[in-house]
Amino acid sequence: MKQLFSLAVALLVFGRLAAQDVYSCRNATLSFFSSAPLEDIEAKTSQGASAINIKTKAVYFKVPINTFQFKKKLMQEHFNENYLESDKYPYAEFKGKILEEVDLTRNGTYPVTVEGALNIHGVTKNYREKGTVTVQNGKINATAKFNVSVADHKIKIPTLVVKNIAEVVEVSVNADYQPVK
Amino acid sequence: MKHMQMRILSALLLIAPAAMAQEDLGAIFGKDSVRRDPVIATFKSTRIINAQSNETLARGDLDFRVAHRFGDIGGADGGSSTFFGIDNSTDIRIAFEYGITDRLTAGVSRAKGSGHFTQLYEVLGKFKLLQQTMDNRVPLAVTLFGNAVVTSMKSSPDKEAVSYFDKFSSRMSYTAQVVVARKFGDRVSLALLPSYVHRNRVGYMDMNNMFALGVGGRLRFSKRVALVVDYFVPFRDQASKDYYKTQGIEFFNPLGVGFEIETGGHVFHLNFTNSTATLENQFIPETTTSWLQGQFRWGFNISRRFSLGH
Repeated sequence: MKQLFSLAVALLVFGRLAAQDVYSCRNATLSFFSSAPLEDIEAKTSQGASAINIKTKAVYFKVPINTFQFKKKLMQEHFNENYLESDKYPYAEFKGKILEEVDLTRNGTYPVTVEGALNIHGVTKNYREKGTVTVQNGKINATAKFNVSVADHKIKIPTLVVKNIAEVVEVSVNADYQPVK
Repeated sequence: MKHMQMRILSALLLIAPAAMAQEDLGAIFGKDSVRRDPVIATFKSTRIINAQSNETLARGDLDFRVAHRFGDIGGADGGSSTFFGIDNSTDIRIAFEYGITDRLTAGVSRAKGSGHFTQLYEVLGKFKLLQQTMDNRVPLAVTLFGNAVVTSMKSSPDKEAVSYFDKFSSRMSYTAQVVVARKFGDRVSLALLPSYVHRNRVGYMDMNNMFALGVGGRLRFSKRVALVVDYFVPFRDQASKDYYKTQGIEFFNPLGVGFEIETGGHVFHLNFTNSTATLENQFIPETTTSWLQGQFRWGFNISRRFSLGH
């Protein structure tokens, strides 16, 4: 009985310890760029939340849509109101995993592949994208660049502005992580 | 007692693996807090139809606006002889408005004018005092609007005429207005507009100072098309109304109904109004045309926004 009890306690403690494998970032930078015949569109936010578990290799991102800043405010209003509908779908969220067996406790730069589900505009799609993870003295940096097709997330572009808005946008991600205490 | 221990143990055993299983990393950021962000796009444009909306321009944005009101569709001046008013224009306003900051807009306009005065030049200012927030901490949006209008028309030789200008200030009129607005959900927006119009020179028994209450609304029924309505109740003295009635002039409350279509940087309004004028200084105190007598007209507002600040 006592042994079982201590086992349970041990498991609990181990579970707690696992939390120390989690690194988080509250100011991840995300930007996107699209190039269409009439207009280049660029927007950026540094209010992304992200976490990474160096043991399980789980990766998480969450970005408030309405924090993306555009140079043209009218464009920003249209982005929120007509395209991303940030009232209804306030966040973009990614839950995934690093596929490679990399030891993120050691300093170094690791090219990785991340696979997971990305939810934008209420529509989830699976992605498998390349990125880079750099570990230096207990700090982790992750970067990635990938393409999102707006149609994949049911974001409709009216034919009238089809020359202003590209169908595929390039998304860049940059996050600096610290261990969660 | 043993039983109790057993229960605690099994509970612990259940919890432990759960803590170890692939965790939901999102949980470490806590629950989504209700956002304090400002509500955007209560109205799509700085005007509802005739009425101001609570919206101002973003810093560095230039809004080029054209408002056109045709002649009466029906009644004595309408019908097929004027192609239902299309042959006539009662008022045309061309304006440039500019966002000095995200809250402060300034503008100039030229309007044909419809009422006692024509050939109007307007200077306007608009200031966003309060923005409604998503968490309802600020439940209403409040914007202040003011303008000064001068007529450049020739003074009438008749000293009794309203358009006889003994001094420059006789050519001036002013509007001060508070726009109180709220967006309900993502489809319905309403506005209340306590208004004050001051005209330096008015006719006999007319009022230099007039208060009015406006209401406006927008009902969005697709992403880019909305129904817009605005209506004003000017508070004209009974004595003034009675006098003008003896002169065969009756005043009506201006009512506008229209469709708003938005495409990128354009906002296009197709509307019907009984009022003939486009400026508050005229359509609030000087509307003498009635819906019920066929004296309503086609009109359109076009807004084209340019981002200059960047």
